[in-house]
Amino acid sequence: MSLLRVEIEAALEHFALSVAFASDARALGLFGPSGSGKTSVLEALAGWRGVARGRIEIAGETWLDSERGLCVPPARRGVGYVPQDLLLFPHLDVEHNVRFAGARDPRLVERAFEVLEIGALRRRAIATLSGGEKQRVALARALCAEPRLLLLDEPLGALDRPLRRRILPYLIRVRAEFDVPLVIVSHDPTEIAAACEHVLVLHEGRVVAQGAPNEVLASREVRGSGEIEFENILRGPVVELSDSTARVELGGVTLEVPRGALALGEETLVAVRADDVLVATSRPLGLSARNVLAARIVRVELGAEARVLARVGAQAVWIDLTEGALRELELREGREVFAVIKTRACRVLSSAKGR
Amino acid sequence: MLDSAVVDAVRLSLLIAASATALVAVPGVAFGYLLARREFFGRSVVEALAALPLYCPPTAVGFVLLALLRRDGPLGADTLGFDPDLLLTWRGAVLASACMSFPLVARTARVAFEGVPARLETMAASLGASRVQVLWRVTLPLARGGLVAALLVGFSRALGEFGATVIVAGNIPGRTQTLATGIYDALQVGRGERALQLAALSVLLGFGAVWTSEWLISRRRRA
Repeated sequence: MSLLRVEIEAALEHFALSVAFASDARALGLFGPSGSGKTSVLEALAGWRGVARGRIEIAGETWLDSERGLCVPPARRGVGYVPQDLLLFPHLDVEHNVRFAGARDPRLVERAFEVLEIGALRRRAIATLSGGEKQRVALARALCAEPRLLLLDEPLGALDRPLRRRILPYLIRVRAEFDVPLVIVSHDPTEIAAACEHVLVLHEGRVVAQGAPNEVLASREVRGSGEIEFENILRGPVVELSDSTARVELGGVTLEVPRGALALGEETLVAVRADDVLVATSRPLGLSARNVLAARIVRVELGAEARVLARVGAQAVWIDLTEGALRELELREGREVFAVIKTRACRVLSSAKGR
Repeated sequence: MLDSAVVDAVRLSLLIAASATALVAVPGVAFGYLLARREFFGRSVVEALAALPLYCPPTAVGFVLLALLRRDGPLGADTLGFDPDLLLTWRGAVLASACMSFPLVARTARVAFEGVPARLETMAASLGASRVQVLWRVTLPLARGGLVAALLVGFSRALGEFGATVIVAGNIPGRTQTLATGIYDALQVGRGERALQLAALSVLLGFGAVWTSEWLISRRRRA
């Protein structure tokens, strides 16, 4: 029995939505360009959108079965939905917005305030909040509905880049601190890779690819389909701190990253663009780059945009290079090489405290 | 110095307009909500019928009320078995003003409700609020400014009502004479000074009503 089993068909404005999938992921990503039907799938899950035909099951409970004429109304699905427009109640302050969800356990409200760091905003009117603060309030309200499924539509979509960097950690913390399965819609591969275990790629209302984010989002078909800038997401605990840098354990090797607000022992996520990694066949000397990591090539993809997948410690890293470089260095599967990464090319995505 | 007839006209005008507004407040707002949020069979016919007082001469509305309320009419003493005692009373004026105000209150309320995003209501329901809770905690508070305006428009309309009122309630000084009917009466008997006083007071009250509504709305916006 899958956690989530979905088969839906619906007529959208420009194409027919026809999506079928089963997933056990605690965090499932729906990825695709704008207008590919991602939001429609989410609204069907929330019960906000009528579906011509289909079935939706969560943990064995049926929410929709068009054959039997069954459709559980939104209020009884127990879904925490954060739509793109957030839909915070403008006439209520932050606290009343969050309490509107009617959490039976008062500790849940306090925990949501704490994890999302909105305690100081309790009495503030919604209109006075920044975009990032509104996102966090909407997320807190959804969590306080004690949902069985949390649905997030482009949680970072409306934010500009510096803000996105500050919200993503909260998303990761929510995932870690609240035991709620998540479905996240996004057209940002970094967001999906950082927050999800499994991703479905949608194109014109159909699932065109699915699997682990690092595999699927890096695939040429997906990267070719949009404005994709793929970043490797590396995970590990902080094992050493210096004045301006920190070292993150990647399973056998450590990566030096900018220290930022990292704390010792904290689990963190680091994004590294496939473009920003160099390959050396012997250990380079006299180099300014601080990370020279032993790696083994596990896959080689030829073509105009050649690249290799290398195992670095316990993690997989995609490296973009030219076909000429690939040939000259005689890179092939199984070859031991060095992956070279500048400290400042490492972008720390999550930091549990101090934001 | 104002004479007692003028004071009576002001008192009765305020009493009648306030009572008429109170009478149409709930049905007018409810009807506005129905038109903004619900689809039902025969909706356009109901909508047109309810708007009729806006397009008919007020005297026609007064005549229909008179026909309904007279002793042997469908709502008269003979049919009801008791005398509702509305004709030629201030209560009759309230009824006539209410009929004229209703479509304006309902229409303004409808616009106020249409200004509340339906998705906010869906979100509230999705968070577990019942229909009544959604209405009470989301829709009404968000439409509040527009609803206050709707009631003020209704009040102002009732304050200026003449045609229907004069037919149903007559123009009896001290009993049913209002500012509007009083001005007409004063002009008929050549008392220009009294007509001027009544007109000036009408302007003052109308301005006061509109200014109060604007002040209420802007104060709520600031809060």
